[in-house]
Amino acid sequence: MEKIRKVIPLNRVEGDLELHLEIEDNVVRDVRSVGTMYRGIENLMSGRGPMDSLVITPRICGICTTAHLNAAAKALDMAYGAEVPDNAQRLRNVTLMVEQLQNDIRHAVLLFMPDLTHATYAGQPLYGEAFRRYAVLKGETTLQTVKETKRLLEIIAILGGQWPHSSFMVPGGVVSVPAASDIIHCRHILRNFRKWYEDRILGCTLEVWGRIRSWDDVQAWLIAAPEHQNSDLGFFIRYGLDLGLAAMGQSHDTFISCGGPDLPARTEVVPEGDAHRFAPGGFYSARRTMEMDPRNISEDIACAFFKDDVPARHPYEGRTVPLDSEDDSQKYSWAKAPRYDGRPAETGPLADMVISGKPLFVEQVEQRGANVLLRQLARLVRPAMILPAVDQWLAEMAESRSPFYQDYSKRITSQGYGLVTAPRGFLGHWLTIENGLIANYQVITPTAWNASPRDSHGVRGPWEEAIVGTRISNVQHPLEVEHVVRSFDPCLVCTVHAMQIS
Amino acid sequence: MAKTIYWIHGGSCGGDTWSLFNADTPDFIELFDFLGLDLLWHQSLSVRSTDELQALNDKILSGEQQLDILCLEGSVIHGPNGSGRFDMLPAGPKKDLIQALAHKAQFVLAVGTCASFGGIGADSDIMASGLQFTKWEMGGLLGQGFRTLSGYPVINLPGCPCHCEVVVGTLSAVAADMPLDLGHYNTPTNWYGVMVHQGCTRNEYHEYRVEEKKFGERGCLFFYMGCHGPLVTGPCNKVLWNRRSSKTRVGVPCFGCTRPDFPQQYPFFQTRNIEGIPIELPDGVSRAHYMAYKGMAAAAAPKRLIKRKTGI
Repeated sequence: MEKIRKVIPLNRVEGDLELHLEIEDNVVRDVRSVGTMYRGIENLMSGRGPMDSLVITPRICGICTTAHLNAAAKALDMAYGAEVPDNAQRLRNVTLMVEQLQNDIRHAVLLFMPDLTHATYAGQPLYGEAFRRYAVLKGETTLQTVKETKRLLEIIAILGGQWPHSSFMVPGGVVSVPAASDIIHCRHILRNFRKWYEDRILGCTLEVWGRIRSWDDVQAWLIAAPEHQNSDLGFFIRYGLDLGLAAMGQSHDTFISCGGPDLPARTEVVPEGDAHRFAPGGFYSARRTMEMDPRNISEDIACAFFKDDVPARHPYEGRTVPLDSEDDSQKYSWAKAPRYDGRPAETGPLADMVISGKPLFVEQVEQRGANVLLRQLARLVRPAMILPAVDQWLAEMAESRSPFYQDYSKRITSQGYGLVTAPRGFLGHWLTIENGLIANYQVITPTAWNASPRDSHGVRGPWEEAIVGTRISNVQHPLEVEHVVRSFDPCLVCTVHAMQIS
Repeated sequence: MAKTIYWIHGGSCGGDTWSLFNADTPDFIELFDFLGLDLLWHQSLSVRSTDELQALNDKILSGEQQLDILCLEGSVIHGPNGSGRFDMLPAGPKKDLIQALAHKAQFVLAVGTCASFGGIGADSDIMASGLQFTKWEMGGLLGQGFRTLSGYPVINLPGCPCHCEVVVGTLSAVAADMPLDLGHYNTPTNWYGVMVHQGCTRNEYHEYRVEEKKFGERGCLFFYMGCHGPLVTGPCNKVLWNRRSSKTRVGVPCFGCTRPDFPQQYPFFQTRNIEGIPIELPDGVSRAHYMAYKGMAAAAAPKRLIKRKTGI
């Protein structure tokens, strides 16, 4: 049968993405993931004051704004040798994780689920209920999600001024000095969110979900109580299995994460693994998790609209020199190809789960490989893992006498990097300061990892690999491909770099 | 009859949409029902296939589908070299679609600073512009003389991001056929007729020139820490963010994000000054009088403020 080429621009992803598909016999044989817009933010950083990164880099993305702020502040901490006192660390962690919490639910419900209400699935037994819950601008869960996540974000406004786009994290801590009454408000808001999450999304308490360690446990959980079946999680598992989402979207099965945020020196929050971080980072491949050394990260531009003398660079040496998009037919994206030790890697809630050794997810990756259902499952249950820590840190902030900021001496020539788990996965900022000004600034976003084009060895990026082999029922509208891509929670606004100076 | 609205992203971070999600009474979902607006397309939310979207665009451009309100969030990208190819749709540069749609719309709203003035990227090789301004200069994509079918210029709603109440309020006025009073840079005076400074809980410190030089304190940030509150307009301390707060209230200096030159070309977090007095003074203020006033204000400052003993 003949090959069909189809270009689909995707919406309901942050930013602009096109997928160029080659389809034969209703199966995707090849794909190019194309970031279609270049905003040039890395380049407009050069020559600016180093603290400007705190204002500009949150504007890389409207939904992960706090994560970018955190990465920029950490890079400055390192560059200046600034120490972050305990209460500042707690405040940073709370705001970072609140942003994750709202994004996890907003993505799942507002960006991913609408695809499952497409008319193509009208014949499915659970279709009517999917429509009732998730129809765009109308679904029951949709309406609740908008209200509840909006309330949750008030925590970031109380502690940091506003959401999105504030700059309350600075080297040496945070600028805020919240009063005990502010912190009490935050805890009330968090408790409210937790109640809704347990009642509506999860269908059980965090403790009950925390006992699940295998797919057998999930099956048993589903039938143990009607609240489990009928929660959005329970519904998603049942409907997702009906639609075959567990058999879609297998990729390289390599994962990368930089782990949970740094712990304050004194805390009752119990870390998993590495004692200095809430959750360990790592690189997972062939059923093994290894320590993740950021020196092994490079960005390959073989298929990206940038030019350089070498095919790949570590971000400290990175540069962004754009080409006119028509110059070279091998190149097809405004996204560079991040590689760890030369290998592509997937990042996001599933990567975090696997790398921190959560038994259910490790088991499923080993048995079935990462897939659409598993990625969304990880996203839906991640709040269960982090809600208690957020509340604990708020409580500690109120009791502790630690300052929120500590002064330091600025260095005029220095380097630093900041690695953060953003809502969509592993985010890194790399900063070089020379003579008191930014000489180089490189950002690798989580979606850069996931949306990566091919590299100089021709190895596809994670979601390119996941899309190949997808069976499509209607070539005019490759809905199945959309499921695969959206399961990565794509954000193209971050991922296409801005460049250039001089 | 329901007014139609089409929401497109240019060179955008998506922040203006996520800011709109903070809206309360009506919230983002209720908004369209309350105002009787038919949302034809929103880049972040709509479920339409490519072909359906193309068909919609064709109908608007041919005149078959009425377009009442066009909202752009994000800048118009002209680079490289005016071709617009740094921001492509399958049919061609996105700026061409934006231009074509604008000429069919009854009202055009530039949501956010990037859409209004170019914002992030206005000084770089992506050649970002706003719809009718490039930073301080009128022109942008559509040209100084552009008027929509209703006779208005592009209505600029700057802010990085734009405050949700500004969008809700402006859409409410347009949906109800109420006139909008436009002031400087064609921004509605309802929200841009007040300085960011008005309503900041640190005002008492400001009044008595109790000024901070480092982070983590409670005093005013205007003299040394780069706060633009007294210099720029915006509803931040009148309407508040996320129902509760603002940057300046928690100690983050205002970055002047509603101004056409945002992001400024000189460093943030510091105030440029002459003889200890900021170079940029509030609009219309004479330097000599200001220096005298601030000198007396500092002398009159009560101990409780100097010692930062208030609960604010």
